[in-house]
Amino acid sequence: MKKVLLMFLVMVASVTLLGCNKEATEERTEITFWHMSPVGDVSYSSVKGLITDFNESQDLYFVKGVGFSFWDYWDKINVAVASRTAPSIGLSTIDDVVSRAESGVLLNISDLMDADTSGINTLDLNEFRQSQMDFATYEEDLYAMPFSATSRALFYNLDMFDELGLTEADAPTTWSELETIAKMFDIQEADGTVTRLGFDPTYGDTTYHGWLWQSGLDFFDEDLNPTLNTPEHLEVLNWILDFNKDFTRSQLTAFGEANAMLGVNPFTSERVAMIVSNDGLYQTIDTSGSDINYGVTSIPIPDENGIHVCWGSGFSLEMYDNGDNTDAEVAGAYSFYKYLLSEPVQIALGESLGWLMSHITAMEKYVEGDPILEALLAEVDYSMDKVYVPYAPAWHASDWQTYYTQILDGDLTPEAGLLAARNHYLQKQENYNTLHE
Amino acid sequence: MKKQSIGSIKQLKKTENRMGYLFASPWLIGIIVLGAFPILASFYISFTSYDMASAPVWVGLKNYIILFTNDDVFWKSLWNTIYHVLIAIPLGLIVGIILALLLNNKIRGMSIYRTLFYLPCVVSIVAMSLLWLWLFQPQFGIINEVLSPLYKLFNMEPILWYQSASTSKITLILMGLWTAGGSMVIYLAQMQDIPKSLYESAEVDGANWIQKTFSITLPLMTPSIFFNFIMGIIGGFQVFTIAYIMTNGGPAQSTYYYAYYMFDKMMSDQAMGMASAMAWILLVIVLIVTMFALRLNKKVVYLGEEG
Repeated sequence: MKKVLLMFLVMVASVTLLGCNKEATEERTEITFWHMSPVGDVSYSSVKGLITDFNESQDLYFVKGVGFSFWDYWDKINVAVASRTAPSIGLSTIDDVVSRAESGVLLNISDLMDADTSGINTLDLNEFRQSQMDFATYEEDLYAMPFSATSRALFYNLDMFDELGLTEADAPTTWSELETIAKMFDIQEADGTVTRLGFDPTYGDTTYHGWLWQSGLDFFDEDLNPTLNTPEHLEVLNWILDFNKDFTRSQLTAFGEANAMLGVNPFTSERVAMIVSNDGLYQTIDTSGSDINYGVTSIPIPDENGIHVCWGSGFSLEMYDNGDNTDAEVAGAYSFYKYLLSEPVQIALGESLGWLMSHITAMEKYVEGDPILEALLAEVDYSMDKVYVPYAPAWHASDWQTYYTQILDGDLTPEAGLLAARNHYLQKQENYNTLHE
Repeated sequence: MKKQSIGSIKQLKKTENRMGYLFASPWLIGIIVLGAFPILASFYISFTSYDMASAPVWVGLKNYIILFTNDDVFWKSLWNTIYHVLIAIPLGLIVGIILALLLNNKIRGMSIYRTLFYLPCVVSIVAMSLLWLWLFQPQFGIINEVLSPLYKLFNMEPILWYQSASTSKITLILMGLWTAGGSMVIYLAQMQDIPKSLYESAEVDGANWIQKTFSITLPLMTPSIFFNFIMGIIGGFQVFTIAYIMTNGGPAQSTYYYAYYMFDKMMSDQAMGMASAMAWILLVIVLIVTMFALRLNKKVVYLGEEG
């Protein structure tokens, strides 16, 4: 009796497990695609719909989409790539494609393009920005394609402008104009609490390296040696520090922390009149249902010899080499890869994800008739990505922020802060070289 | 007949052993695959340069040498952690014991008080950190609001708490005391175990509350105090989450603890080899400190009357 019961249980388990693998029985090659639209996300249905459309358009391959939240995605993909269990296709950061290509974890897209004779969704490189593709090129071959594109711009509140008799034409274009207009909006209560600011060069998506680029400067030279404590660097840093010198750092910190703790965007809550932000702010305002009247323009540049540039990046679309990819898997993955980069799918992705995608014509069609999106897309042509520094991959984040905050807080003088930061990078460079000599 | 029965017993033992291993196998597989393998792998990786994408490259002791001789942040993070352990552990013990002594009384609603003090232990550390961020906010937080009469009285500038490098570490330590209710429960359990006769004898001899506390309660609580001390040391060296959420390691890296730096080495610098070396250094430090602490066991812990 026991044996009969055991056999019955084994049979039930086998049938159940086989049932789970329904697609395998259909003899279609399974392709996995990791994205950032998990179940419950507003974009989940549309991304799933695009995958379903592809699956129904042919009967050779079956794409299984797996969505993770943005915050979870990076750990998952990094671990999967490291353990050679990466999906067939996934997204990553475009600025460090070369490091992955060098490690041999990415498939060569140029080779796949050369071998592609299907005539379906053929990749047209003219539809993608060379500046982005440069980041995806290793030893003259493409190892990824730009999937999305971001830009940064100055958002200004037209209702607040109107209050002070300003119009869209008064939107600042230079640093001095920015300073003059910003001061008009500052409000400080009797107890010292700042309740409104015109602008602050440390808020939103501003970065020190962004301001440096506009002045023709950078953190590193061409050989990636840190060069950030020249008098010119100091001048930019002092401009940032002096911008709101009417207020103490404590007042500004309190103002910033109040925004963060209340969970409000200082721009949408009309606590700042102008802010530098990426295209995500458009989406935030749109989805929040806010009726704020605003405009977008290029980030103001230095009065003399200023360069029109902003920090823009984007996700790369990558095909992973796990060492055991079959020809059918590679062919299927590339077929879906091209589909994701095709014009109609890029438009659909832009609409569902709220991102600016990488396909030039697709995005021109997508933004047509929307002046805000048109302005944001125009900035993509002036965007530049940060350089990948192997000895300090997070050079702009944790490495620099330590010194930047000390300088802003007045714990370090700008000179001492820049020198300390440079020494920190030099030490990291030396240690990296010791390990890789 | 005798031989047969011996054979049967041996057979039975073998069968029992097999079944034993079979039932224990999930745990054994778990500890080998999920425990032992990663530990051994990290030991190997600590002697390599490994960016988690390419294959690890053997570099010998270079990771260790760099950390000890040419990494300022390593020493800074280690000092921050030692500072945290030196202050937070004794303070946590004292607060836990005081709470337990206060709550070891027979008054109405005591179970409610005990629950209230234990409640913070079941609150998510992320939620707790965000809550305390509000409370400690120097410009509009409630703590500085409450203290403002004192600031005026002593003509002081308000304390900047987590915003200042000089007070940030102690701010996080004070915040951590909110969960002292966890150790309090252990102390209370041990207090309940102390024979009433000891207190009665002391009372007959005219001992007051302080004398009873220092001569009976605290000596008999030393096993649980010691347990919390050891666990505190081990946990203290791994402090990470509160700094990650509340201060991002700042200001001026004053709350950049060892585990935080190790995390950044792995996630930001993609230097898994170096991060593994840091993990092993931490293990050795914790082992040495715990070993010394355990040596105190016989000297300070009451283990019952011999004979």
